[in-house]
Amino acid sequence: MELKAKGSTSIKALLVEDIGVCRLVLSTFLLRLHCEVTLAMNGKEAVDLFLEGKKFDIVLFDKDMPVMTGPEAIVKIRAMGETDVKMVGVSADDHAMEAFMSVGADLFVPKPMRMEALGPIIQEVINKKKNDMV
Amino acid sequence: MGHLDEQFRQVEDLQDEASPNFVEEVVVVFFKDSGRLISNLEQALEKYPRDFNRWDAYMQQLKGSCSSIGASRMKNECMSFRDNCGQRSVEGCMGSLQKLKREHAILRQKLESYFQLLRQVGPAGAATRPAM
Repeated sequence: MELKAKGSTSIKALLVEDIGVCRLVLSTFLLRLHCEVTLAMNGKEAVDLFLEGKKFDIVLFDKDMPVMTGPEAIVKIRAMGETDVKMVGVSADDHAMEAFMSVGADLFVPKPMRMEALGPIIQEVINKKKNDMV
Repeated sequence: MGHLDEQFRQVEDLQDEASPNFVEEVVVVFFKDSGRLISNLEQALEKYPRDFNRWDAYMQQLKGSCSSIGASRMKNECMSFRDNCGQRSVEGCMGSLQKLKREHAILRQKLESYFQLLRQVGPAGAATRPAM
Protein backbone atom coordinates (compact mmCIF):
# COMPACT_ATOMS: atom_id res chain seq x y z
CA MET A 1 0.00 0.00 0.00
CA GLU A 2 1.38 3.42 -0.95
CA LEU A 3 0.59 6.67 0.83
CA LYS A 4 1.58 10.08 -0.44
CA ALA A 5 1.60 13.44 1.34
CA LYS A 6 0.85 16.68 -0.46
CA GLY A 7 4.01 18.28 -1.72
CA SER A 8 6.01 15.11 -1.07
CA THR A 9 9.75 15.12 -1.53
CA SER A 10 11.26 12.35 -3.55
CA ILE A 11 12.08 10.37 -0.38
CA LYS A 12 10.56 6.95 -0.71
CA ALA A 13 10.05 5.28 2.65
CA LEU A 14 9.09 1.67 3.27
CA LEU A 15 7.58 0.92 6.67
CA VAL A 16 7.65 -2.74 7.69
CA GLU A 17 5.41 -3.23 10.72
CA ASP A 18 2.78 -5.81 11.60
CA ILE A 19 1.00 -4.00 14.46
CA GLY A 20 -1.73 -1.69 13.15
CA VAL A 21 -1.43 1.19 15.62
CA CYS A 22 2.36 1.32 15.27
CA ARG A 23 1.97 1.34 11.49
CA LEU A 24 -0.61 4.13 11.63
CA VAL A 25 1.42 6.41 13.91
CA LEU A 26 4.78 5.92 12.20
CA SER A 27 3.38 6.20 8.68
CA THR A 28 1.69 9.46 9.66
CA PHE A 29 4.99 10.80 11.02
CA LEU A 30 6.61 9.92 7.67
CA LEU A 31 3.82 11.56 5.69
CA ARG A 32 4.17 14.71 7.78
CA LEU A 33 7.83 14.70 6.83
CA HIS A 34 6.66 14.67 3.21
CA CYS A 35 7.78 11.12 2.43
CA GLU A 36 6.11 8.81 -0.04
CA VAL A 37 5.22 5.86 2.19
CA THR A 38 4.80 2.21 1.28
CA LEU A 39 3.59 -0.25 3.91
CA ALA A 40 4.57 -3.88 4.38
CA MET A 41 3.13 -6.16 7.07
CA ASN A 42 6.19 -8.32 7.57
CA GLY A 43 9.76 -8.90 6.44
CA LYS A 44 8.80 -11.15 3.53
CA GLU A 45 6.51 -8.51 2.02
CA ALA A 46 9.41 -6.07 2.24
CA VAL A 47 11.79 -8.50 0.54
CA ASP A 48 9.20 -9.18 -2.18
CA LEU A 49 8.94 -5.45 -2.91
CA PHE A 50 12.68 -5.29 -3.50
CA LEU A 51 12.52 -8.45 -5.64
CA GLU A 52 9.86 -6.71 -7.75
CA GLY A 53 12.38 -3.97 -8.41
CA LYS A 54 10.85 -1.33 -6.14
CA LYS A 55 13.30 1.27 -4.91
CA PHE A 56 13.35 2.96 -1.53
CA ASP A 57 15.56 5.57 0.11
CA ILE A 58 14.83 4.42 3.64
CA VAL A 59 13.28 1.33 5.20
CA LEU A 60 12.04 1.19 8.77
CA PHE A 61 11.68 -2.29 10.24
CA ASP A 62 9.94 -3.58 13.31
CA LYS A 63 11.87 -6.50 14.80
CA ASP A 64 9.46 -9.33 15.56
CA MET A 65 6.90 -9.99 12.83
CA PRO A 66 5.18 -13.09 11.51
CA VAL A 67 6.60 -14.93 8.47
CA MET A 68 9.90 -12.99 8.51
CA THR A 69 11.47 -10.73 11.14
CA GLY A 70 13.05 -7.34 10.50
CA PRO A 71 16.66 -8.55 10.91
CA GLU A 72 15.99 -11.55 8.62
CA ALA A 73 14.62 -9.22 5.95
CA ILE A 74 17.64 -6.91 6.24
CA VAL A 75 19.99 -9.85 5.63
CA LYS A 76 18.11 -10.80 2.47
CA ILE A 77 17.77 -7.25 1.14
CA ARG A 78 21.43 -6.42 1.73
CA ALA A 79 22.36 -9.70 0.01
CA MET A 80 20.55 -8.40 -3.09
CA GLY A 81 23.15 -5.65 -3.26
CA GLU A 82 20.93 -2.96 -1.75
CA THR A 83 23.74 -1.36 0.21
CA ASP A 84 22.71 2.28 -0.32
CA VAL A 85 19.25 2.05 1.23
CA LYS A 86 19.15 3.40 4.77
CA MET A 87 17.89 0.58 7.00
CA VAL A 88 16.50 1.57 10.39
CA GLY A 89 15.50 -0.90 13.08
CA VAL A 90 12.63 0.22 15.34
CA SER A 91 11.61 -1.81 18.36
CA ALA A 92 10.38 -1.63 21.95
CA ASP A 93 12.59 -4.63 22.72
CA ASP A 94 15.56 -3.61 24.86
CA HIS A 95 17.80 -6.18 23.14
CA ALA A 96 16.85 -5.30 19.59
CA MET A 97 19.77 -2.98 18.80
CA GLU A 98 22.30 -5.81 18.65
CA ALA A 99 19.95 -7.92 16.51
CA PHE A 100 19.61 -5.13 13.97
CA MET A 101 23.13 -3.71 13.90
CA SER A 102 24.75 -7.14 13.60
CA VAL A 103 22.92 -7.79 10.32
CA GLY A 104 23.71 -4.49 8.65
CA ALA A 105 21.12 -1.97 9.81
CA ASP A 106 22.41 1.61 9.67
CA LEU A 107 20.58 2.76 12.74
CA PHE A 108 18.40 1.57 15.59
CA VAL A 109 15.75 3.73 17.22
CA PRO A 110 13.81 2.49 20.25
CA LYS A 111 10.01 2.59 20.22
CA PRO A 112 8.16 4.80 20.55
CA MET A 113 9.83 6.75 17.80
CA ARG A 114 9.31 10.48 18.19
CA MET A 115 9.00 13.07 15.47
CA GLU A 116 12.10 14.80 16.91
CA ALA A 117 14.09 11.61 16.26
CA LEU A 118 12.66 10.83 12.82
CA GLY A 119 13.00 14.35 11.40
CA PRO A 120 16.83 14.45 11.42
CA ILE A 121 16.99 10.90 10.03
CA ILE A 122 14.84 11.86 7.04
CA GLN A 123 16.80 15.10 6.58
CA GLU A 124 20.02 13.08 6.44
CA VAL A 125 18.51 10.89 3.71
CA ILE A 126 17.43 14.00 1.78
CA ASN A 127 20.93 15.51 2.09
CA LYS A 128 22.59 12.31 0.94
CA LYS A 129 20.26 12.04 -2.05
CA LYS A 130 21.01 15.65 -3.05
CA ASN A 131 24.76 15.02 -2.74
CA ASP A 132 24.52 11.83 -4.82
CA MET A 133 22.73 13.75 -7.56
CA VAL A 134 25.45 16.40 -7.80
CA MET B 1 1.28 8.31 37.43
CA GLY B 2 -1.14 9.10 34.60
CA HIS B 3 -2.41 6.54 32.15
CA LEU B 4 -0.90 8.33 29.14
CA ASP B 5 2.57 9.74 28.68
CA GLU B 6 4.22 12.24 26.32
CA GLN B 7 3.81 9.91 23.33
CA PHE B 8 0.04 10.56 23.38
CA ARG B 9 0.79 14.24 22.91
CA GLN B 10 2.92 13.32 19.86
CA VAL B 11 -0.13 11.54 18.45
CA GLU B 12 -2.37 14.52 19.25
CA ASP B 13 0.08 16.81 17.45
CA LEU B 14 -0.54 14.81 14.27
CA GLN B 15 -4.23 15.78 14.28
CA ASP B 16 -5.05 18.69 12.03
CA GLU B 17 -7.81 20.03 9.79
CA ALA B 18 -7.06 17.41 7.17
CA SER B 19 -7.30 14.62 9.79
CA PRO B 20 -9.72 16.02 12.41
CA ASN B 21 -10.41 12.63 14.01
CA PHE B 22 -6.91 11.23 13.81
CA VAL B 23 -6.45 10.69 17.55
CA GLU B 24 -9.72 8.82 17.87
CA GLU B 25 -8.82 6.68 14.84
CA VAL B 26 -5.49 5.79 16.42
CA VAL B 27 -7.18 4.89 19.69
CA VAL B 28 -9.73 2.69 17.88
CA VAL B 29 -6.91 0.83 16.10
CA PHE B 30 -4.99 0.53 19.37
CA PHE B 31 -7.88 -1.14 21.19
CA LYS B 32 -8.50 -3.44 18.23
CA ASP B 33 -4.81 -4.47 18.21
CA SER B 34 -4.45 -4.73 21.97
CA GLY B 35 -7.66 -6.72 22.38
CA ARG B 36 -6.42 -9.20 19.79
CA LEU B 37 -2.93 -9.41 21.32
CA ILE B 38 -4.30 -9.98 24.82
CA SER B 39 -6.61 -12.68 23.48
CA ASN B 40 -3.68 -14.35 21.64
CA LEU B 41 -1.65 -14.27 24.85
CA GLU B 42 -4.45 -15.80 26.90
CA GLN B 43 -4.75 -18.61 24.39
CA ALA B 44 -0.99 -19.15 24.51
CA LEU B 45 -1.05 -19.29 28.33
CA GLU B 46 -3.53 -22.12 28.10
CA LYS B 47 -2.17 -23.95 25.08
CA TYR B 48 1.55 -23.65 25.88
CA PRO B 49 1.98 -24.00 29.65
CA ARG B 50 5.26 -22.63 31.03
CA ASP B 51 6.40 -21.62 27.55
CA PHE B 52 7.85 -18.36 28.89
CA ASN B 53 9.69 -17.53 25.67
CA ARG B 54 6.46 -17.69 23.68
CA TRP B 55 4.51 -15.73 26.31
CA ASP B 56 7.27 -13.11 26.36
CA ALA B 57 7.16 -12.78 22.58
CA TYR B 58 3.42 -12.07 22.63
CA MET B 59 3.83 -9.54 25.40
CA GLN B 60 6.67 -7.85 23.53
CA GLN B 61 4.23 -7.08 20.70
CA LEU B 62 1.69 -5.64 23.12
CA LYS B 63 4.39 -3.52 24.75
CA GLY B 64 5.26 -2.04 21.35
CA SER B 65 1.61 -1.27 20.69
CA CYS B 66 1.19 0.42 24.10
CA SER B 67 4.30 2.53 23.67
CA SER B 68 3.10 3.82 20.29
CA ILE B 69 0.18 5.67 21.85
CA GLY B 70 1.75 6.39 25.22
CA ALA B 71 -0.30 3.92 27.27
CA SER B 72 2.25 4.09 30.08
CA ARG B 73 0.52 2.08 32.81
CA MET B 74 -0.27 -0.71 30.39
CA LYS B 75 3.32 -0.63 29.16
CA ASN B 76 4.56 -0.98 32.75
CA GLU B 77 2.38 -4.04 33.26
CA CYS B 78 3.76 -5.49 30.02
CA MET B 79 7.26 -5.03 31.42
CA SER B 80 6.22 -6.60 34.72
CA PHE B 81 4.85 -9.61 32.84
CA ARG B 82 8.12 -9.94 30.91
CA ASP B 83 10.09 -9.76 34.15
CA ASN B 84 7.96 -12.59 35.50
CA CYS B 85 8.68 -14.57 32.34
CA GLY B 86 12.38 -14.03 32.99
CA GLN B 87 11.91 -15.33 36.51
CA ARG B 88 9.83 -18.23 35.17
CA SER B 89 7.00 -17.38 37.54
CA VAL B 90 3.62 -18.57 36.28
CA GLU B 91 1.86 -16.97 39.22
CA GLY B 92 3.66 -13.69 38.61
CA CYS B 93 2.73 -13.75 34.92
CA MET B 94 -0.92 -14.43 35.70
CA GLY B 95 -0.98 -11.59 38.22
CA SER B 96 0.62 -9.16 35.76
CA LEU B 97 -1.83 -10.16 33.06
CA GLN B 98 -4.80 -9.48 35.31
CA LYS B 99 -3.42 -6.04 36.17
CA LEU B 100 -2.78 -5.40 32.49
CA LYS B 101 -6.35 -6.28 31.57
CA ARG B 102 -7.60 -3.99 34.33
CA GLU B 103 -5.48 -1.08 33.04
CA HIS B 104 -6.68 -1.84 29.51
CA ALA B 105 -10.30 -1.57 30.61
CA ILE B 106 -9.68 1.60 32.64
CA LEU B 107 -7.86 3.27 29.74
CA ARG B 108 -10.64 2.37 27.32
CA GLN B 109 -13.20 3.88 29.68
CA LYS B 110 -11.17 7.07 30.22
CA LEU B 111 -10.56 7.58 26.51
CA GLU B 112 -14.21 6.97 25.67
CA SER B 113 -15.15 9.65 28.20
CA TYR B 114 -12.46 11.94 26.82
CA PHE B 115 -13.73 11.70 23.25
CA GLN B 116 -17.31 12.08 24.40
CA LEU B 117 -16.32 15.26 26.22
CA LEU B 118 -14.47 16.52 23.13
CA ARG B 119 -17.54 15.96 21.01
CA GLN B 120 -19.62 17.95 23.48
CA VAL B 121 -17.29 20.92 23.79
CA GLY B 122 -16.11 20.99 20.17
CA PRO B 123 -12.64 21.92 18.85
CA ALA B 124 -12.05 24.66 21.48
CA GLY B 125 -12.14 22.06 24.21
CA ALA B 126 -9.26 20.18 22.69
CA ALA B 127 -6.94 23.02 23.67
CA THR B 128 -7.07 22.00 27.33
CA ARG B 129 -6.79 18.24 27.55
CA PRO B 130 -7.96 16.84 30.87
CA ALA B 131 -5.27 14.98 32.79
CA MET B 132 -5.45 11.20 32.36
